Amino acid sequence: MLNRPLSYWQIPVLILALALTLFPVFWLVMTAIKPPIDWNASPAIWVPSEPTLINFRTLFDPAAIRAYGVGGVSQAATKAVIGSILASVSATFLAMALGLVSAIGLSRYSRTSWATPLVILSGRMFPPAAIAVPFVIIFSLTSLMDTYPGLIAIYTAVTLPFSTWTLKSFVDDLPREMEEAAMLDGKSRLMAHLTVTVPLIKGGLFSTAMLVFILNWSEYMFAQVLSNTELSTIPVQLAKYVTATAGTLYGVQAALAVLAMVPLILAGFFIQGHLARGLTFGAIKK
Amino acid sequence: MTNPLAMKGLTVQNLGKNYGPKAALKDVSFTAGDAVFTVLLGPGGAGKTTTLRLIAGLEPQTSGQIFLDGQEVSRLAPRKRDLAMIFDNLALYPNKNGFQNLASPLIQRKRPIEEIREKVFAMAAKLNLTLVLDRLPKTMSGGEKQRLALGRALVREPRFFLLDEPLSSLDAPLRFKLRSELKRLQKEEGHSFLMATPDFTEALAVGDVIIVLEGGAVAQVASPKDLYEKPIDTRVALFVGSPRINLFKAGASEGNLNFFGLISPIPESLKEPLAKETGEFTVGVRPENVILGQSLDKNAVKGKAIVVDIESLGRSLAVTISREKERLTFLAPSLDLGLLAIGDQVDFFLADPNSLLAFKPDGRNYLT
Repeated sequence: MLNRPLSYWQIPVLILALALTLFPVFWLVMTAIKPPIDWNASPAIWVPSEPTLINFRTLFDPAAIRAYGVGGVSQAATKAVIGSILASVSATFLAMALGLVSAIGLSRYSRTSWATPLVILSGRMFPPAAIAVPFVIIFSLTSLMDTYPGLIAIYTAVTLPFSTWTLKSFVDDLPREMEEAAMLDGKSRLMAHLTVTVPLIKGGLFSTAMLVFILNWSEYMFAQVLSNTELSTIPVQLAKYVTATAGTLYGVQAALAVLAMVPLILAGFFIQGHLARGLTFGAIKK
Repeated sequence: MTNPLAMKGLTVQNLGKNYGPKAALKDVSFTAGDAVFTVLLGPGGAGKTTTLRLIAGLEPQTSGQIFLDGQEVSRLAPRKRDLAMIFDNLALYPNKNGFQNLASPLIQRKRPIEEIREKVFAMAAKLNLTLVLDRLPKTMSGGEKQRLALGRALVREPRFFLLDEPLSSLDAPLRFKLRSELKRLQKEEGHSFLMATPDFTEALAVGDVIIVLEGGAVAQVASPKDLYEKPIDTRVALFVGSPRINLFKAGASEGNLNFFGLISPIPESLKEPLAKETGEFTVGVRPENVILGQSLDKNAVKGKAIVVDIESLGRSLAVTISREKERLTFLAPSLDLGLLAIGDQVDFFLADPNSLLAFKPDGRNYLT
């Protein structure tokens, strides 16, 4: 962490940067607790005089907002929240597990040079819209449209290159001799990797998992294109609150967005201690 | 070669390793005896580390066999070969303290806790590591890390030890101290060591037997004394010794060797092989075989040349003299520094004409 005092000019710069970063969050939280009459007020109302939880109630009881004389959507956000949790957690777990195995394999057992960033990451270089269309066709033919396995599969496929490449750099940084010492001392290859490699790249695992989870959690396009009635995620649901039929339910939309931030903030808070690298420093010469 | 299934120690036969089309090792065979300190000596890229990694089972060999105490281990997993390896980067576990690092081989072999404690404390006492048992490797000095890595290898009492340039990361005084400790430990406990090093002084200092690797093949196997006095070819002769051996084009006539303007009687041992030699060959003169000044012996092999370089080595001087474009470097006492200047013409003579080396036109020593 930073262990020297800030100089006098850094403080205002940091305050400005924080203000720019945090203002949208402030606005979102404020909108989430505004009654409908304040949503579109002009001049804008910064802090509502009568804060309310009606927007949050409306998320799970779509009819609640009608008491304020505004229209609503027919679907509760429950399915979207469950869908997001299910799809993001499973896909993150799969991408991490497969990514870890691939990273160790590429780093330790591959002497060939084909595993370049270009090859591994090429799938991520296309605009998602370009690969969404073939996926729709494939999913239609295989009955994976509008199913969780389908969404989890595509989330895993999209984030796996990223987790593989990031984890590979962490494994590359670790001298292979540490695992080999364990192998000579009595461990099988698999156990040496599980008991030596994995604990030593713990920070990398946590930070990569966090980033993969954020990618999955905030993904909109695939979920929108591949879902119909059975499947929904938070980003898909968010879009439903401002449409021609639903009207402009800014407050409800903000309320769901605020809910969606909670797990990310909690996760970030709990793993920040693991994010520091340099765990291996000092164990090898030079 | 004797039957490797009938002997203690390590035997490798026709070991080869290719990385893609490139051969890192080609047909390496040698024996590292039981309770012997064997040294694998060679320049970087000679295949020392590859050899050790194949023996340890960390990488599969492309061809050849490995025997340990009469058992073929060529295809066994590393943990089933019962040997320990000290890596050049030590590979201590950075997240474990001294005790945990020392104990890890025993924990992995599922030894009882009492035995682990007893052995770890005994090893720590022996290697002077007691004070660092509760510290992480990053807080230890270079010597402490080195001894910890050594202790971690020793604590399990495997049947064979592989050491890959274990002292290379240390500064000179510590390297000196630890290499003599290493030697003492090996002799006292009767361990079998195979140590790789690019440093010939280290090899000569600790090795009972030295195996010289060059370009992925064994160039010579010899005792330290033989390696220095009877290098198998000019490449080994140049590699072992500092300053390097002086090599000159030479001819033989009337029982004498002619090189660098000197006429020196052919040493007894070389008379027979050189009798058949009609063309040019190479003579090797070790730097310590040349003495500055005039000899009292009128039969001495002597000459004159111009000083072209003087380099202080501390205790002695490396003086380079030149004659008709050929150069000869030898050692002179530091006291001579004030008496010598570049450009001077000086007298010199050979200390012992019988210790001259002679190599065939293809570089092979006539005597090996």
